[in-house]
Amino acid sequence: MIKKIIYTILVLSVLPFFTAGTFAQEVTKISPYITLQYLKNTDNQRILQTTLTYSKNRIEIPLSGMEIFLFTGTDKKEKIASVVTDSKGIAKFKLTGDSKLISDKNGAWAFSSEYKGNDTIAAGTSEIIIKDVNLEMLLTLVDSIKTITVKATVMENGKEKPVTGEVVKIYVPRMFSLLPIGELTLNDAGEASIEFPSDLPGDKEGNVTLIAKFEENPTFGNVEKRETLKWGLTTDYSVPTSHRALWTKTAPKWMIYTLSVLLTGVWGHYLFALISLIRIKMDAKRKAKEEYRI
Amino acid sequence: MKDEAENLNDGSSRRNFLKKVGVGVGAISVAGIAGSSLLKGNEAKAKSGNLVKLLSPEGKLVEVDQDDIQSAKDIQPAKNETVEEHKLEARAGLPNRKFAMVIDLARCKNARKCVEACQEGHLLPKDHEWMRLYLLQDDNTTAKYWFPRPCFHCDKPMCVSVCPVGATYKRPDGIVLIDNQRCIGCKFCMTGCPFSARVFNWKDPEVKVPEGHVYDPETNIPATEGTVGKCVFCADKLRLGELPRCVTACPMGVIYFGDILEDTVTNGNETERFSKLMLDRAGYRYREELGTLPSVYYLPPTQRMFPVESGLEDADKSIKDRYKNIGPR
Amino acid sequence: MEADRKLISDLTPEIERTSIKWYITFFILFAFFAVGVYGLYQQISKGHIVTGMRDNVVWGFYIVNFIFFMGLSYSGALISGVLHLFHTGWRKPIIRMAELITIISLIIGPFFIFFCIGRLDRLHFLFLYPRIQSPITWDVIAIITDLAGCFLYLYLSFIEDFAILRDYPDLKVAPWKKKLYKTLSLGFTGTEQQHKILSNARMVMAAMVIAIAIIVYSVLAWIFGVTLQPGWHSTIFGPYFVIAAVFSGTGLLIILMWIFRKIYHLEEYITQRHFVNVGVLLTVIAAFYGYFTFSDYLTKWYGSIKMDSILIDKLFTDYYSLFIFANYIGILLPCIIIAFPKFRTIPNITIAAIIAVTALWVNRYIIVIPTLETPFLPIQDTRPDWITYSPTWVEWSLTLAGVSVFAMLFMLVSKIAPIISISEMQEKDKNEILK
Repeated sequence: MIKKIIYTILVLSVLPFFTAGTFAQEVTKISPYITLQYLKNTDNQRILQTTLTYSKNRIEIPLSGMEIFLFTGTDKKEKIASVVTDSKGIAKFKLTGDSKLISDKNGAWAFSSEYKGNDTIAAGTSEIIIKDVNLEMLLTLVDSIKTITVKATVMENGKEKPVTGEVVKIYVPRMFSLLPIGELTLNDAGEASIEFPSDLPGDKEGNVTLIAKFEENPTFGNVEKRETLKWGLTTDYSVPTSHRALWTKTAPKWMIYTLSVLLTGVWGHYLFALISLIRIKMDAKRKAKEEYRI
Repeated sequence: MKDEAENLNDGSSRRNFLKKVGVGVGAISVAGIAGSSLLKGNEAKAKSGNLVKLLSPEGKLVEVDQDDIQSAKDIQPAKNETVEEHKLEARAGLPNRKFAMVIDLARCKNARKCVEACQEGHLLPKDHEWMRLYLLQDDNTTAKYWFPRPCFHCDKPMCVSVCPVGATYKRPDGIVLIDNQRCIGCKFCMTGCPFSARVFNWKDPEVKVPEGHVYDPETNIPATEGTVGKCVFCADKLRLGELPRCVTACPMGVIYFGDILEDTVTNGNETERFSKLMLDRAGYRYREELGTLPSVYYLPPTQRMFPVESGLEDADKSIKDRYKNIGPR
Repeated sequence: MEADRKLISDLTPEIERTSIKWYITFFILFAFFAVGVYGLYQQISKGHIVTGMRDNVVWGFYIVNFIFFMGLSYSGALISGVLHLFHTGWRKPIIRMAELITIISLIIGPFFIFFCIGRLDRLHFLFLYPRIQSPITWDVIAIITDLAGCFLYLYLSFIEDFAILRDYPDLKVAPWKKKLYKTLSLGFTGTEQQHKILSNARMVMAAMVIAIAIIVYSVLAWIFGVTLQPGWHSTIFGPYFVIAAVFSGTGLLIILMWIFRKIYHLEEYITQRHFVNVGVLLTVIAAFYGYFTFSDYLTKWYGSIKMDSILIDKLFTDYYSLFIFANYIGILLPCIIIAFPKFRTIPNITIAAIIAVTALWVNRYIIVIPTLETPFLPIQDTRPDWITYSPTWVEWSLTLAGVSVFAMLFMLVSKIAPIISISEMQEKDKNEILK
């Protein structure tokens, strides 16, 4: 009996060492922040963009080099692609004709992006449901006023139905960001117009690019239409070459002239004095020769 | 596009093909794209938001958004250029641009994030401040306000006019740079600048330079003993189409930056037309009467977001003590 | 060349033998110089942080000394050049000293610029990549031209003396000195033709030296005048600096006259009359200098432009004693001493000169430093050495070294050539004999 008790105690005391793994503290993994966005650009190409970051001390730090899977469908998910995030934690994938997208009963697509996680980072997913919308931008002159008209329609049961009440934003892309021109709300006919400012600078020929877009619309995602035309003011980029000023490479002409005249004048006089010295030497030599002869 | 790259039947060399589609050669390493590097084309016509055609080392033509092509380090992209090439590029500047900055005094509360970001990005010793924060009060009867002062990159720069060796120069896009390998340290530019924008390296700054770094006036790293330094409007970042470090670092969105030929400035979140901002907010330049024509505009501190004293609350004692005896100026 | 024995024996003893006193003095001066060199070594190895200069007051003692020494060079231009053109008789014993002051201070001045430059290894960039629009380039060109011109002018005046020394048989000097005189005198034998050539050349160079001196000092003034800094951006700076330079040069001349008269027992040649004449010159220039100073500060003060007011406040509070000394005592005292015939003794006049020269150094200091301490954007800092300027031992030692080198060079030159021009004195003697 005593043997059995001792044996049990021994086993129980040794057991923790073998099961140390299971009783080990769970390492707290970083919980990442994953987003998924849909973009349909002006060439009607559809792009899925997913970002993976995590928050530390209220600063968002990107997670790069991570593999993220893109799926379509809700109940039954089908993998579209796997992408790897870049140094900013962003990964993009362009949907092609081969990507079989699963649409639900409303004709909307469900997309999800999934990060499986690793030893230090927890898993995460993000889902969006996108309805395909057809956005048009018309640039016309109405009573000689440059007008931008947008029109949006969706296909429902094979018929075109206008989109109402949604916001379409108009931008002009600039060097660092997009310059907002206006925000339009689509009327019952799915249309809206805005006047284009007449004093916006364009490039050398007056070209400006206009973007009409649904920006992070909950139904449609990001849809944009771009067009470039000569609606801007022409900008003169010419920098006067051989520009003469105090702060340029070449000095103003009068400075150079004044300096040359002064320097020539002064050093000319020095030359005269030097020549005098030479003449004295010559004269002395001559005198010495004469005396020697005498 | 992928098919085009693989079905090269017309006999032209790969380089010709690359030229046709507007892709050049250069090397940039992108962290995170496991091992492979995406080539950045010098001739690639890319605006932010556009897709760029790039050639991966495997010979596949891929389309990536401009934003994806980033250098691994914030400090210096590996340009594989010599010092001479850097200097020539630095003197030429970015074509068809004229940069300006707008600082909204109504929002500034001495958070000093701009100062810290600038010091980090340019590897400055802690006592060098290219962006400096003043607490100004024009007269005892007028209000105090926080005043961030970068270099103004004047259009008629006194500092450039008085430099005897041409170490500092104004380039066509408006930025005034310093070539620290030409500077003789006479400090005439420091007495010439009426805005105290320049700092001098009185001793060896002892900063650690990243390996393989090649000197470039656009970043001006590292600070060299016996030479002058100042804000460069982060010309290295502008070349990548990014905003200067102080602009992105400011938590209040105080600093706007942009190309005034495009009439647009942005603080990273809000984008405005420069002319409209000036008109609506009565923008002005500091000490306009001195006639140096600065490129930095200020929006008066009306309808402030925060009281002036909030700028002193969280500050270090050494910072607070700076503003103990401010008098009217 | 013939020479009056008495003249030579009076004016050449220092060439022939060197006294113990000379060696001791030289050694002491050399010690100061050595300390200065050590200070310079510290500065080069540790960086300019060992000086008192910081980001606001970026120009300190070195620039003040530079302007001061360049200003001393005016004695040659004025006394020697102007008086030469006007054929003034009484100038003869002192012109050599004046010309030497010019050359030696022109040599020392630029060294103070070198001390101020952060990257001495890149000094040649001033010649490789010069920018004509920069006042420093104007200064480099002007100083080089001035040095060349003054050197030429000095040499022209030495030729006759070297000829005399060469021909004097009883001269007890080392053989290398004799050879030196022979080479440098260019075989001058005093014929009418040679005299004519020499005198023409000297006339031309005298005019040039005056013109160039004015240009050099104006350029120096414009280094400050063309900037926008309060206190510097003054239209009067060009003429103001020129007058101040003449003032300091004349003062130094009196001091040196006194020193050499005492040491080399030249009482017969440098008389009370010379002191009084140069003293009167000093007074007249002091009056002009006072007028310019008053004019500058009056317009600044009256006009009440804010930055000017702040600067003037600073001058009358932090720099009060220095300001009074430089601009009141420094002007009025010499005037009073020399204006009243009763006070015009040689020691008094020398004291007036010493006050004048010191006051001028202080004047340069209060032109340069207070302006840099009151920039447009106020200095908001906690470090005291960044708020006000306080010179360190390095700067003091280099200043003293500069003065020492000045004296040492003078001592060395006096060993090679007479401090008073024998040929000039001889001419004078001849004229008196003829009378």
